[in-house]
Amino acid sequence: MRTNLKVVDNSGAKRVMCIQALKGKKGARLGDTIIASVKEAQPRGKVKKGDVVYGVVVRAAMQRGRCDGSEIKFDDNAVVLVNKQGEPIGTRVFGPVPHELRKKKHVKILTLAEHIA
Amino acid sequence: MLAALRSRAIHLCSSSHALQPWKPGFLGFHRFESSSPGSTSGFLDLQEVEKVLNDVKADDVKVIPVRNHCDWTDFMVIATGRSTWHVRNIAEALIYKAAETLVAKQKQKGAQRLLLPSVQGQEGGKWIVIDSGTVIVHALDEKARAYYNLESLWTTEMSPKGPTKDLEKAFVKIRRTNNSKKSVKKVA
Repeated sequence: MRTNLKVVDNSGAKRVMCIQALKGKKGARLGDTIIASVKEAQPRGKVKKGDVVYGVVVRAAMQRGRCDGSEIKFDDNAVVLVNKQGEPIGTRVFGPVPHELRKKKHVKILTLAEHIA
Repeated sequence: MLAALRSRAIHLCSSSHALQPWKPGFLGFHRFESSSPGSTSGFLDLQEVEKVLNDVKADDVKVIPVRNHCDWTDFMVIATGRSTWHVRNIAEALIYKAAETLVAKQKQKGAQRLLLPSVQGQEGGKWIVIDSGTVIVHALDEKARAYYNLESLWTTEMSPKGPTKDLEKAFVKIRRTNNSKKSVKKVA
């Protein structure tokens, strides 16, 4: 709640603020879906300021344990905007994305990503 | 039909792995892949995929080998459907074929770890992804294909994201230039 996240696709938004984590009592982590409100947007984009959108967290500063014992953490918190059915609104995703998205059934974001951590 | 098929496949296998095909062994699975491509997962063959797509009359089937650019998968197959119903049909046909090959393999080898390919996007029929390890099939409709433009993303050469400078030059110690007005004291 109230976390400012960076948007890393070309859907037009630049910053969103989380207003609800869809799963988990303690909040959303890497790979989870959130509901967010667009706080800052580019002038000609598919979303505008004030829209309520769904997003998938692709980078989180909190470390996430992997099944082989290692942990992964990023320098920033980033999200990719998605519609209610899970389809990404933008067409490209910038920056690295983790493997965890595959298990969380976000293969679409993985195919649009340019680099996979 | 799909739900009945899935429950039948799950009922047949004895282990609980079928419910979550990408369970903890995922990273381990990825490492073993290169040695034994067909043994542990269902539905890896490109020829089978192409045959099914031809049977379902999918338009504009493209196979892109991404083994060089991409370390999580080897082949991407993109197919177009003429309507949302057609796209859903393509996905169902592929799952049906996968279940068939799994049943056939199971009869040969006995109860093994059966992996059904995972499907994403089934409800909204615009873009359905079927993930079966080394082969990923994208079934899109016309507008989605033009919108996302997956071919241009995967066919252009992706430059490696490693460091571009030479490693030897990075660690060479360079005497710093003295920009201050004070002269450097000579060490006795």
